[in-house]
Order: sequence, then structure tokens, then C-alpha cells
Amino acid sequence: MEIKHTAIAGTLESSDIQIMLSKIEGPTEIELESAVEKQFGTQIRTLMQTILDQYGLTNVKIKAVDKGALDCTIKARLITVIQRATDKQNDPDWEVLG
Amino acid sequence: MNYSQQLKQLNLKELHYYKQWAALLTQEGIEGLPQVPVDVDGCLGIFEDQQLIATGAYQKNVLKYIAVDANYQGGKLFNDIISALINTLTQQGVFHFFVFTKPIYRQSFEFVGFKLLAQTSLAVLLEAGDASLQQFIAQVPRLENQSTATISAIVMNANPFTLGHRYLVTQATQKSDFVYVFVVSQDVSLFTTEERFKLVQQGLSDLPNVIVVQSGDYMVSYATFPSYFLPESQDIIEYQTALDAQLFKKIAAQLNIQQRFLGEEPFSKTTALYNQALKATLPPEITVEVIPRLKAATQTISATQVRKAIQNGTIETIHTFVPETTYQFIKQNQAILQARIQKGMQVDGN
Repeated sequence: MEIKHTAIAGTLESSDIQIMLSKIEGPTEIELESAVEKQFGTQIRTLMQTILDQYGLTNVKIKAVDKGALDCTIKARLITVIQRATDKQNDPDWEVLG
Repeated sequence: MNYSQQLKQLNLKELHYYKQWAALLTQEGIEGLPQVPVDVDGCLGIFEDQQLIATGAYQKNVLKYIAVDANYQGGKLFNDIISALINTLTQQGVFHFFVFTKPIYRQSFEFVGFKLLAQTSLAVLLEAGDASLQQFIAQVPRLENQSTATISAIVMNANPFTLGHRYLVTQATQKSDFVYVFVVSQDVSLFTTEERFKLVQQGLSDLPNVIVVQSGDYMVSYATFPSYFLPESQDIIEYQTALDAQLFKKIAAQLNIQQRFLGEEPFSKTTALYNQALKATLPPEITVEVIPRLKAATQTISATQVRKAIQNGTIETIHTFVPETTYQFIKQNQAILQARIQKGMQVDGN
């Protein structure tokens, strides 16, 4: 799958995460800003990478500002931003969602 | 936001909203509020029981006039209003944002993902989004001997490119191995960014040790130095120019730029203040040299004169002010340029 343009999903409210996804030249970069970076930083990054892999996305940049989101929220926000960035809002990839 | 709070678009042309908005900003210590019409593209507010408790606005890609009622501070409403502003901008296809604020608010913005660009004792400039200063610096063309060469820089709007601009560049080439000419990217002048850039390139194409680069959002833009384009009071110009100069210093360090050349400024008060700020901020790392204006016969060359001649339909009078490439462009596009002036494009500004 290919990123068509930069997109954003989520908010900066408590228990949410704001994720911006854009296309870059080099390998995938995940930039995470989180109050729980020490405790859950690795786990959040791994979760994000897993979802990117499921969609077959490489050479992307994620900029995330986490306000203590749970894994299910992170997953939901990331899937949304991927669908927006790939112009698939109305045509979701059901296999990945399952 | 909780259930009793509501996010709304604020139409500041409505006196009822303007009054509440101005009251909140004044209460939170934001001074020098503009009168109606306020110079913003959009403004949002969070209300509780008809009372405005948080607000934020934007103009192009810059967040402005952000304030939260002191009784509700603690971060939550601040994050809400920033979220709402970012969502509004991204819906318009803007994914790179700047904020210009007081140093005490720096951390609040860093908590929501903004990165510091420049700081003075009076103000800070931060950015967030899908582009960054590092990416901008990375895409500037490099020389083979970047680290050992004597490199200088000039920043110009060139609206349009004149022999005065060319003279400034040739003076710089005599005093350094290599000259970066940064052309202002903000597209708010009589000549479009694309036109200005092309005319600069054409007018300097015979000089081998010059490279023409877009200045992006990082030099003399709506983000770094809005008062270059919008009328402002002297103290606002002063702290904006100081920030722009700080940021230039950061960029120069990575490109090994050791000298900045400026055109002497007898006409524009804003540009004169800008030159002063650069002289105060850039040394000792970067030396600043001011080159006196070139005179054609008895008249001092300025792009303002060129624009006035276009307005008056007397372009023959400025034939000696501009390179042939600029003259031909003006001649061929005179009608289009005059139409832009008639639509309200300023001739006297920058």
C-alpha cells in the first residue's frame, strides 16, 4: 500500500494519541512523544510497527504525541490515519482489521 | 472537553464574539490586540455556559492568540484547543504548523509535540508537523568543499529582481568563495514566489559561484517574521526580527555560512529594523556587511520604484533599473501585474 498524502488522526486529549503519518525517502521512522515513554515506549513502537507491517507500509514517518492512550486506542488511531493517508476511508482493508 | 463544554468557530466580525474574545485575551495578559477586522484566517473557542473559556486562532500555518481562562488552566483545555486548531488546519491540507509565543509557554507546546526553533528573552518560535528545520537544511544544495570554503548568504524577496539585487550579489561573490541567495518563499507579493525565484535565477545565471535557494518557512516568512508582510508596531517588529536572526544563526552554523550581506535600507522602516536586529544578533559567529545601494544615473534603484512604474504604466522609465530578463518579463506580463495591483496588491509594501 502507498501513502498518497500526509494525514492525521486522534487528539491531544487525555487517554488519546495524535498520530501524523507521512511519506519519507529513507526507512520508516517512529517519533514518539509520551509521558509514559519509559514504561511503555518500546511496547507502543512495536505495536505501531506491527500494524505498519500488516498494511505493508515502508518508508513512512510517524509522529505521535501520546497522552496515555491504551493499546486499543493506539491501534484504532493508527488504522484511521493509515486509511486517511492512503485514501481508503471508504474502502477499508478488512483483512487487516480482522 | 467535558459535556458542559462546547467547541465553536468564532466569527470575530460579530461584535458579540469579538468582545468576549478580546476580554479573555486581555485577562490572560495578551497585549496589543488588533481591532476588527482581526488578521486571522480562523478562530476557535471553547464555551461553558455561554462563557468563552479558551480560544486559539490561525493565520496560514501559524497558530496565534491562544489563551485559556486562568480558572481552567492545568493543561486540559490547552490541549483541546491545540487539537482543534491542528484538526482544522489539517482539513485544509496544512500539515506543518508554527507558533510564536512567550518563553513561559514553551513547555506547554513541547508537551503537545512542538519543537523549539529559536528563542530570545521575549519570545519563542516552535514548529510541529510533517516538515522540519532539519529537513529544510538537508535539502539545501552542498558544495564539495563546504567545510573549508568562505561562504556567504543573502536573503531577498526580490519583488522583482533588479540590478540593485544583482549588485549586492556580485559584491558578495568578490568577498567570498560561494554565495547562497535565499529567495523568500512566502507568496504574498506582487510577483509570485515562482516568478521571483525564476527572475533571480535568470538574473544571476552567469555567476558560477552562486546558488539560488528557496527560503522555505524559515527566513522572513509568516512564521518567523510576519511583520515584514503585515503592518505592526515597532516593538513587535523588534522581537520578531530578533527571532528570525536567531534562527538564521542556527541554519548558518550547519551550512558553514560565515557572512551575511545586506542591502542598505533607506526606505523601508521594517527592513531597516531587520538589518539592525541582524547586526545585533549574528556576530561574532557571522559577520554582517551592509552594502550601499546601487545608483542608476542619479536615482537609487529599488524594487518599489519598479512596482510603481508598473502601476503607472511607465515601465520604460525603469528599464535601466533591472536586468533584461526582468524587463522582458514585466513587458510581457504588464497587464497581469496591473490587474493584480487593481485587485488590491500593495505596491508600497515589501
